[in-house]
Amino acid sequence: MIVDCNAYIGHYAFRRLHYNTGDGILQLMDRAGIDRACVSSAGAIMYRNSQAGNEELLEEIEPHRDRLIPFAVLNPTYAAWERDITWCKSVLGAKGLRLYPSYHMYKLSDFCCSEMIEAATELGMMISIPVRAEDSRQRHWLVQAPDVPLNDIAALVAGHPNARFIVLEGLGFRGSDLVRKADELPHNYWIEMSRPDPLFDKELQFVKDALGAERLVFGTGICFKYPEPALLRMKVLQATEDEKADIYAGNMLRLLGE
Amino acid sequence: MMIIDSNAYIGHWAFRRLRYNAGDTILELMDRAGIDQACVSSASAIMYRNSHAGNEELLEEIEPHRDRLIPFAVLNPAYAGWRRDLQWCRDTLGARGLRLHPSYHMYALNDACCHELVDAATELGMLVSIAALYSVADVRQRHWLVDPPDVPLQDIAWLVAEHPDARFVVHAGDSSGSDLVQKADELPANYWLDMAFMDPLYHKGLQTVKDRIGAERLVFGTSICFRYPESALVRMEALQATDEEKESIYNGNMLALLGQ
Amino acid sequence: MFEDVPLIDTHAHVMYSDPDADDSRQRGLDAAYVEAADVLGIDILVVSCPMVRKPTTPEIFRHANSLVIDAMQKWPGRIWLTTYINPGWTREAIAEIQRTAELEDMVAIKLLWDYNCSDPVCFPVIEKAIELDKIIIIHQAHHTNMLFNRRHFDVDAADVVAVANRYPEAKIIADHIGGGGDWEWTIKTLAEAPNVLQEISGSNFDENIVDMQLQYLGADRMVFACDCSMSSSMGKFRALQAGTEDKKKIAGGNFLRLCGRL
Repeated sequence: MIVDCNAYIGHYAFRRLHYNTGDGILQLMDRAGIDRACVSSAGAIMYRNSQAGNEELLEEIEPHRDRLIPFAVLNPTYAAWERDITWCKSVLGAKGLRLYPSYHMYKLSDFCCSEMIEAATELGMMISIPVRAEDSRQRHWLVQAPDVPLNDIAALVAGHPNARFIVLEGLGFRGSDLVRKADELPHNYWIEMSRPDPLFDKELQFVKDALGAERLVFGTGICFKYPEPALLRMKVLQATEDEKADIYAGNMLRLLGE
Repeated sequence: MMIIDSNAYIGHWAFRRLRYNAGDTILELMDRAGIDQACVSSASAIMYRNSHAGNEELLEEIEPHRDRLIPFAVLNPAYAGWRRDLQWCRDTLGARGLRLHPSYHMYALNDACCHELVDAATELGMLVSIAALYSVADVRQRHWLVDPPDVPLQDIAWLVAEHPDARFVVHAGDSSGSDLVQKADELPANYWLDMAFMDPLYHKGLQTVKDRIGAERLVFGTSICFRYPESALVRMEALQATDEEKESIYNGNMLALLGQ
Repeated sequence: MFEDVPLIDTHAHVMYSDPDADDSRQRGLDAAYVEAADVLGIDILVVSCPMVRKPTTPEIFRHANSLVIDAMQKWPGRIWLTTYINPGWTREAIAEIQRTAELEDMVAIKLLWDYNCSDPVCFPVIEKAIELDKIIIIHQAHHTNMLFNRRHFDVDAADVVAVANRYPEAKIIADHIGGGGDWEWTIKTLAEAPNVLQEISGSNFDENIVDMQLQYLGADRMVFACDCSMSSSMGKFRALQAGTEDKKKIAGGNFLRLCGRL
């Protein structure tokens, strides 16, 4: 079984996406042998009112709740997020949040972010943080949104030991506190593996050996990215069959409470 | 009376969820407002790096509704491959014109690439419509990360003068005080003004424009689905003009531009 | 528009001109506003004159209100008064509110660009308005192009809600949803304050703007207004997908209720 923790539906502001509907993404998942995916709204990244993206997401995933697991995009600097998070939990059925501090004008260290994380945690939701929406070298000429520093995420996880975090689209873990100071941090964060490579610089291998397979989760970044490279990374990763099963699905299922 | 909307959009806007933004749903909005046909371009293409992808999406939406939806293509002359894309827009999309968004596409109207695009489009018999910043969104509600420069109306006046053989439709705010109106006698009669954002009441910008350059140089526009169409209809109702003049604004001028 | 409810533009203006100055242009605009109201079938204009030289002195705001009173005499029964004051001149502002409240058709006070409405300097005038059972109309907007250079007197919907929460008995109208700014933010913020109504006025007529107001605030909390954007605002009112009874509330019923005239 494969559970993808890093998937998206909807329209991205700066590039046409394909397979970006509820039906469409299932086609891509079937092609890649992915059983279930944690999806959030691509539109919500740049919507001023990101909640509108969550409402669009509901329409797309409703017929496919057996395979599509909603994650909500909320902006703690925007009006009424406290009401929206309740809607996302009770109506959308979101299992977690997806945060975009660079696009939503806050830092992970801001008080509003801390408040939202606490609220989400109280609702039993996990927090996923994409380090980037896309490569900075192809960003739109009008938009400057820097990658989220991994050490900022390390400070965040330390400050919220009861919360559960997934770091998406990350790279450069070798030099980050998330690995170097892993022993000093609570074991409340998981690393999505779509970018680090198990070959050449062997970063994925390094992370797996340093943190343990139980702290890695499978992700692809569909429909922004092809799913096949992530599958290939898993294929060449040096790990036991049990470890791979945990990365492919077991760890995420436990996080989802299943 | 037949109504042709010169200024309509389908697709997704980067910064806000739109409604009635598909081929079939924009027709609902048009029916509500009594609009028979609309010149539609892709809203998504405004912020896509490769704006042509928005034109491809537009084709899918308008194909079943070509009797009512008239495609206009969004192209960025500062982006790769625009010449080939222009040809596709003409041949496959059947675009009757271009809709330019220089504010978002980071070129100026007096850049060489813009001149080349205008010439190429004109050679293909296409209209060139120019959308100033306000035609899509008010600067006071712009996204906090995105601060595009506006298109000076003076630059549009200069462009129309440089391309007397081209035909332009201008989608901007109140242009009553600009050279496009005040110095119209010095400019070629090759541009038409979309009345969507000019009021005939109170400040009377639309009345001024109509009286100054003539009803034959105005075209009806709403900017649906970004905006409600009813405000434009109220403007037309309040405009002091003869029935013939109103008919020319509602449909006649645009029909002539479209060669119909 | 409706036989049993007047259409009330709750946010209209006469233009300010200094005493003894040539005011022909301003008075021409005033006449144009009434003329526009005639064309659109607007029965009553609730008028203020707050677009004055800043900082506003008592002499200026008294003269501004007198211009509205002149208009009330020129167009009897057509013009109601929203008294504009600078709350910083506490004693004079309260006196001006008291003075103009003696007019039968003075219905509200206006706060604009002198102080943030949640600044304690505004509390005495707010309390005076409550005492006299007058409406408090507050200029607000969430200008995203000014998030980092807000002036001390810029007011956001959150500031209006702060006032509403402090004074739950107050009758507050937040002005122009279409007056520029992130209206989704504004509507979502105002939804939290049940004693705040909001106008539909403003130059912007983005699709869904008044439908979202209806969804979040409800018809009982919306009022018709133009704020000089005549066609844009009337267009929004026509576009609003609401039943006749709700439209009557918005057209005039809610405002009359606030004025105690329903």
